[in-house]
Amino acid sequence: MKTLTIRDRTSMQKIIRRLMSGCLLIMPVAVQAGSQPPTIQLFPTTVLEEIKHTGDVAAQMETGLQSVIGRLDEQQKLYMQSKCEGNEGDPGCERIARQMGKSYLEMLAIMGDRLPEMETAVNNTSASLEKRLRSELGQKRTSWTLQELLVGAQSDSANKADRPVLRGRSGMRLSDRFHQYYKLVAHSGGEANSSLAVIASDIYLDMQETSRLIASTREEISRATLMEQLNQSFGTITPEMQEVVAGVKSILFGEDEALMPMTAPPASQPAPVDESPLTL
Amino acid sequence: MKTSRTSTLTTLAALAALSTLLAACNANPPRASACTLPEGHNLERAISAARFDLTTGCEQQFDEYFQRLLVIAEGDPKKDNKVAFSDFLIWANEEGLLSKRQARELYTRYFGVKYVTLISDYSVCAQTCPRQQEVMREMNRELVDKEQGLLKVSADQREYYRANRLFQETELVLDATCEACGPVE
Repeated sequence: MKTLTIRDRTSMQKIIRRLMSGCLLIMPVAVQAGSQPPTIQLFPTTVLEEIKHTGDVAAQMETGLQSVIGRLDEQQKLYMQSKCEGNEGDPGCERIARQMGKSYLEMLAIMGDRLPEMETAVNNTSASLEKRLRSELGQKRTSWTLQELLVGAQSDSANKADRPVLRGRSGMRLSDRFHQYYKLVAHSGGEANSSLAVIASDIYLDMQETSRLIASTREEISRATLMEQLNQSFGTITPEMQEVVAGVKSILFGEDEALMPMTAPPASQPAPVDESPLTL
Repeated sequence: MKTSRTSTLTTLAALAALSTLLAACNANPPRASACTLPEGHNLERAISAARFDLTTGCEQQFDEYFQRLLVIAEGDPKKDNKVAFSDFLIWANEEGLLSKRQARELYTRYFGVKYVTLISDYSVCAQTCPRQQEVMREMNRELVDKEQGLLKVSADQREYYRANRLFQETELVLDATCEACGPVE
């Protein structure tokens, strides 16, 4: 009999974690950015609507998964409290194991149902952002003027501690990062263009990655479902199941705490230094 | 007769000696520099010595002198050092050792937040993306120079933080923009 291996479930768990955290809190950015239209057109209404829709779809998926995750959590607790580990032949333990397997299958089914819609939403958003980035930053600007745009942002918000943490560098969960984006956009005025360039880049790259993850997840779901169905028919519960429950919990409830970002601006604000006439 | 000639010769010799002595006492004698890089820990004195050498035959070694001055300044990091280097580069431009553009770029490379690596005339898609990796490597080298200029020489942590932040934001935005621009044709 072939059962799901630790590697299978761990990889599935990683995919789910990244997928969920990448999409859950997109919505606040969309809503807030909509009230402060930028001068450079990175977030026109159409893009904002697509981001909002993607956030809605992600939220629905989260809602659907949350209850099944909660159930898996309870089942795992029961399994542990009943000292079923190493005692798999026990009929009571076998029953709990089957229930866990059913919940796991349910989780896979929910994801299978929701993912196509999410994939479409993410791909649409990604395509729209791509078009805006190409036009507004890639074609209308040189690398020097792009840099000036970014430096402008630094001057405008030099004292703000809530600038977005950059993608892939901080170890911070994506959802936290989106929350930071939200705060940044919420507190900046019309001069937020440069920050929006960073945010747009960040969201676009995340969308691209999410799109790839969705595609690979969809491929995995069928296989994982088949494996778990086999598991069910033989009434096997494996320790890997516990890992899945723990992993998915961390996806939704954020048990992976953030490593804090790179550097932070110095607390004190020194007096302006003599500006050289050579400064570019 | 013989006595008179001897006396004249003695006078001439005395005059020659006096003239040599006066020349030796001149505070700024015209001499060729040995192009010895400045030593010590006093930046002001080192700059003064460098100025002298650079106008007396050592122009070709401008870069070496500039680097030595940076190292000397590291011994006493302070924000005023920025001004000293700015003045030095302005002087170098006025003396014709550097063009105005070279002086600006050199100053910005070490003491500015912006990256001279990113100076370009054409769009990001057309000019920067095709050599994105090379641009990032060059920016990284420039960041090292900014670390020396802003942190080690000028003790200006805030500006160095901004330069570091700008590096990371540029990397992110270029990643996204170049991805959006599509493959290089």
